[in-house]
Amino acid sequence: MSGGSIIIFILNIFGALIIAILGILVGLFYKGIDRKLAAMLQSRVGPPIRQPFLDFFKLMIKENIVPENAIPWVFNGAPVLALVSTVTILFYIPFGPIPALLGDSGDLILIAYLLAIPAIALVAGGFSSGSTYASIGAQREMVLMMSYELPLVTTIIGLGWRLNLAYPGLKVFSLAALSTNPIWGLVGPLGFLGALLLLLTLVIVTPAELSIVPFDIPEAETELAGGVLVEYSGRNLALFELSNAVKMIVMGTLTIALFFPYNIAHLLSITGFFAYIINILFFFFKLFIVIFFEATLIRVALARLKIDQASTAYLIFLSATSLMGLLLIAIDYII
Amino acid sequence: MSISTYKIPIGPIHPSLAEPMTFNFEISGEKIQSVDLAPGDNHRGIEFMGRNRNIVQIIYLAERICGICSASHPFAFCRAVENAAGIEVPPRAEYIRVIIAELERIHSHILWAGIAAEELGFNSVLYLSWKVREEVLDLLEILTGNRINYGMYMIGGVRRDISEEHMPRIMKTLQYYKDAYQTLEDVFLKDPSIALRTKNVGIMTYEDALHLTSVGPTARASGVKKDVRQDQPYSAYADMDIKAITPDIYSGEVNGDVYDRIIVRILEVFQSVQIIEYCLDNLPEGEILSEPKIVKLLGTLKKAKGEGVGRHEAPRGEVIHYIKLNESENPEVWKARAPTYNNLMSWLPMLQRQEIADIPIVIASIDPCIGCMDRVTLVDSNTSKKQVLTREELMKLSIAKTRRILK
Amino acid sequence: MEFLDAKDLLSYLQDNLKENILDSRLETRTAGVKKEEFHNIWLEVKREKFRDTVKLFMELQYPHIAIIAGNDTGEKIELVYLFSLFYGEKFKEISINLKVSLEREKPSIESITDLIPGAQTTERETKEMFGVEFIGLPEMRNIFLPEDFPKDIFPFRKEQKGLDELVQKES
Repeated sequence: MSGGSIIIFILNIFGALIIAILGILVGLFYKGIDRKLAAMLQSRVGPPIRQPFLDFFKLMIKENIVPENAIPWVFNGAPVLALVSTVTILFYIPFGPIPALLGDSGDLILIAYLLAIPAIALVAGGFSSGSTYASIGAQREMVLMMSYELPLVTTIIGLGWRLNLAYPGLKVFSLAALSTNPIWGLVGPLGFLGALLLLLTLVIVTPAELSIVPFDIPEAETELAGGVLVEYSGRNLALFELSNAVKMIVMGTLTIALFFPYNIAHLLSITGFFAYIINILFFFFKLFIVIFFEATLIRVALARLKIDQASTAYLIFLSATSLMGLLLIAIDYII
Repeated sequence: MSISTYKIPIGPIHPSLAEPMTFNFEISGEKIQSVDLAPGDNHRGIEFMGRNRNIVQIIYLAERICGICSASHPFAFCRAVENAAGIEVPPRAEYIRVIIAELERIHSHILWAGIAAEELGFNSVLYLSWKVREEVLDLLEILTGNRINYGMYMIGGVRRDISEEHMPRIMKTLQYYKDAYQTLEDVFLKDPSIALRTKNVGIMTYEDALHLTSVGPTARASGVKKDVRQDQPYSAYADMDIKAITPDIYSGEVNGDVYDRIIVRILEVFQSVQIIEYCLDNLPEGEILSEPKIVKLLGTLKKAKGEGVGRHEAPRGEVIHYIKLNESENPEVWKARAPTYNNLMSWLPMLQRQEIADIPIVIASIDPCIGCMDRVTLVDSNTSKKQVLTREELMKLSIAKTRRILK
Repeated sequence: MEFLDAKDLLSYLQDNLKENILDSRLETRTAGVKKEEFHNIWLEVKREKFRDTVKLFMELQYPHIAIIAGNDTGEKIELVYLFSLFYGEKFKEISINLKVSLEREKPSIESITDLIPGAQTTERETKEMFGVEFIGLPEMRNIFLPEDFPKDIFPFRKEQKGLDELVQKES
């Protein structure tokens, strides 16, 4: 290895550390905001915004119980795997004006795979915990995951395919390429409608990824007493909570990168360092709006679905929606 | 091909159960194959305690059978004693009794609606309905001094009067609930996501409701027009024309599912408002107690001999108290029956072939009150091998365990 | 189905049961400011004819059973079945309180769960609390008492004085 690449390697490690810590902090912060907003929508006071931090620290000092009939290495490994994979996604996603740390070496397809890993970790953890409730939860998580993967992937492919048609030479699944050429500018009115449907798909897949109402079926507190997480406590539960918080940031950022990658600094004719700051602030504002619509609003406005209802909703209705979006974009291109 | 099944226990402690009760389910996939009920985790032996108390003391004991039906049990108990001893209640007291009982129905039904929403994972509706419920609790506090356990009922009348000053406040509450009806209808009966989870879930047919002797909204939602206020009216109800509410009034059909049970309860809230309005308009003047001196009353009761049955339509169904007086200070027999006791068996057809996800809402749909149902005592026995631990032994064991952990 | 009034109902029962009725009483009470009347029927029948009485109710309307109230008088076990008939219309419902006396040693009575399945809960409770054997009761497990509760102790019989001395002293 040459000297230069070693320096880049070390820089990357530092960058990764900083991003991981920042991602977790921002994730917990947004979780607090989400809880506060939900409380306000439900006309109650709600916990303070720092509550997720307090919860995390409290869980860390609690005893970490491994059930007698659990498989310890899977049981303990699952939360670590979930957190690591979600944090890894952060390295491949651009945060508004900040380009992705490892943007060159991974693209949207990789992210789609990485997004599936926390769910798989949950399933493994649930099955290994040796509780009936957790097993039922794990089964449900698997069914749910298989149901929402198709619409999610359809959305990703739709966007990449349209970009490829416009700029054949580009690495179309790279997030950098996607966010410099937003879909809205590439298509006509029909395609615009199609892109809206794809956006809708992503918004509806998000609650299942984050396992919040109405798609918190694997955890379903009143039915399964926490489902897949029922046997988790202490540090392991804290890690799952963290990965969930980070996942919220990931899903929000992904939506922004794919559909709303706009900055405002040049509109205000601000340049230089201030432009950077303004753009970052604007990014956080966008994140706030997106999370509000993808998570908070949906979870206060709906009742929990049953697993068959959720599965039908994803596999049939949402897949149809995303395919319709794809079709509209295709028709738009042909005419 | 035989279906392979697995067992899951729900209870005694479970997030969807507010009170301890055990259900053992036999499940295949997500479908329930069979269910076994095991109540009895909440025994307090209230009827047994009643044996060592005089009649007036038992009123307060009856009030504590259940926190939510804390007007219904004393109401039925007082009626039982009055029937047994032949005590007449002044008309004004009859009307005040009904007002309190109906206010309780409003708060109980709205409380239930919130719990049902929570079982569906719909927390926003839980907070909304409990906010709506606060108004009537405030009114009850103004009228009786307590949010629950009102202490209003007394043999031969009520203990507190409703005065002219209370009227504007009561009117305000009634108006509040007339306005809130629209909100409740919108969130419970017109919301698609609640309909998705409750329609065709937990069905009980008319025949099952009859054969399993269901009572209250559970039976009415299956089309059984049974309501003590209608069938054998008492107190102020006798002066009114009360019709048992069945879901066909609202939707034109009776399915006997959870959705129908929601309809019945929401409509009954409104019915209660009308009953209270009638009572306030026609509130007679006069005494509120036939015998204000409790010592004298106890003397009369000590000499009384006879049996009496008191019935009252509680929010959850018919409450029935049987009392036998035998010229002594304590009653010879006191038997209290709460609605959940009769609705217990209704769970069996309701839960059959349902999914796991339906369990919480189906269990909640009869508005169970385990505290009401289990009232009987555990008797300690030194003669038997399987000895029930005494409190002191339990204390010793508990201290020993604490020391063990500390080491 | 026709609604009978209380007098007709009582004479219907008397005609059918004749000397098997040990005691019968029509109780009339008034309700409300208008003092309208409603009725309770108290009836005591021979143990052997108990099931036939319930069958007689069933010919009129499907009876609703509220609960069995048990009483240990010291010589006998008295069971009071609280029935009600004719629901659905104002002031038509009549409460029938059907009493049966059983021997205190080995009390037994026929179960009515085949006629009214809903009676199971209350029969099981009476079985474990008073030690009454219900012949034909399909479910023999305890309902409220724990499974390992001693089989020869019946908490609601008169000889049971409640919790042991220690607990009483403390409370």
